[in-house]
Amino acid sequence: MSAASHGAGCGVVLGIVLPVLFQQIGYIDLSDLGPTLEYLVVGGVVGGILGALIGWALGRGYLAKHAADEATASK
Amino acid sequence: MRLPHARSRWFGASTVLAATIIAALLIGVPAPGKASPTVTAVPVQSSGGVAYAVTWNGADVSTDSSASSALSIDLTQSANLLYNWTVSSGAAAVTIKDARLQMFYLGFAVSTRDQVLSNPTPGSGSIPLSWTPVSVAYLLEGVYRLTASFIASNGTTMWSENFYVRGTAPLGILAILPIVLLIIVIYEVYMLVRSGRYAMLGRKAPEPSAPASGAPPAQPPSGEVTGPSPDSSEPSGESTPPTGGGS
Repeated sequence: MSAASHGAGCGVVLGIVLPVLFQQIGYIDLSDLGPTLEYLVVGGVVGGILGALIGWALGRGYLAKHAADEATASK
Repeated sequence: MRLPHARSRWFGASTVLAATIIAALLIGVPAPGKASPTVTAVPVQSSGGVAYAVTWNGADVSTDSSASSALSIDLTQSANLLYNWTVSSGAAAVTIKDARLQMFYLGFAVSTRDQVLSNPTPGSGSIPLSWTPVSVAYLLEGVYRLTASFIASNGTTMWSENFYVRGTAPLGILAILPIVLLIIVIYEVYMLVRSGRYAMLGRKAPEPSAPASGAPPAQPPSGEVTGPSPDSSEPSGESTPPTGGGS
């Protein structure tokens, strides 16, 4: 599993859970099924894309930092 | 070079900060301050010469027809609704037998309350309905659509009205669903922040398969080798580092 796919998984879950949490807080209304499905689908897709990008960026940063650490340690 | 426990401390501080912000949002839901207003004049809506009106603790629910103007209620307190209908002179008399209140969530009625008259009579009348949503008070909170319906004696819905309420849980946060959702969000944010480590896992795994110096490679079946030579520096695609998003 790559960092991007792991981030995408987390993003999908966040994109689905956050609309329901916002409804519980009182910011959006999820009384009807149609708008609810729209919120969940859009949230899942957007969350997945953003999560993949974040995971990919974090993975690059992690690899770069580790390479620098190993180069420093080998000197 | 940053110490490992300094990084974990940063993660912990971020998690605590995120939890604090979300908890503050949960507790600090603005209350419109119209939980128990006193309304004297209640506008009625007419249908076929019959005027219908529903009040919630004396407040007309027709003013709460959108989520932004939702009636703020405490889900642990009982609500007294009054269903009124007035037949105009010359209009056909209606016989209302049942006053119904339904609460919808995700398109489904999560709570239904009925007040049935035992001896309905044609003409004007009113039905009081008391509703205490204790069954959902410790489970849900937030904005919900409610439907108040006048049901005739033959079972047809003579008139119904949608209105919105903003229910608050005990102490503002003591409901199961928002707490569970909050825990899931914090955990997923934490895992998302840590997802960079998976790039290193995907890269390090193939490294032990590098050919050892002096060790003879595995003998292929004689006479059937048509691919690259066994002493190639790139043994197979399986051991190459991942070039996908994790790199």
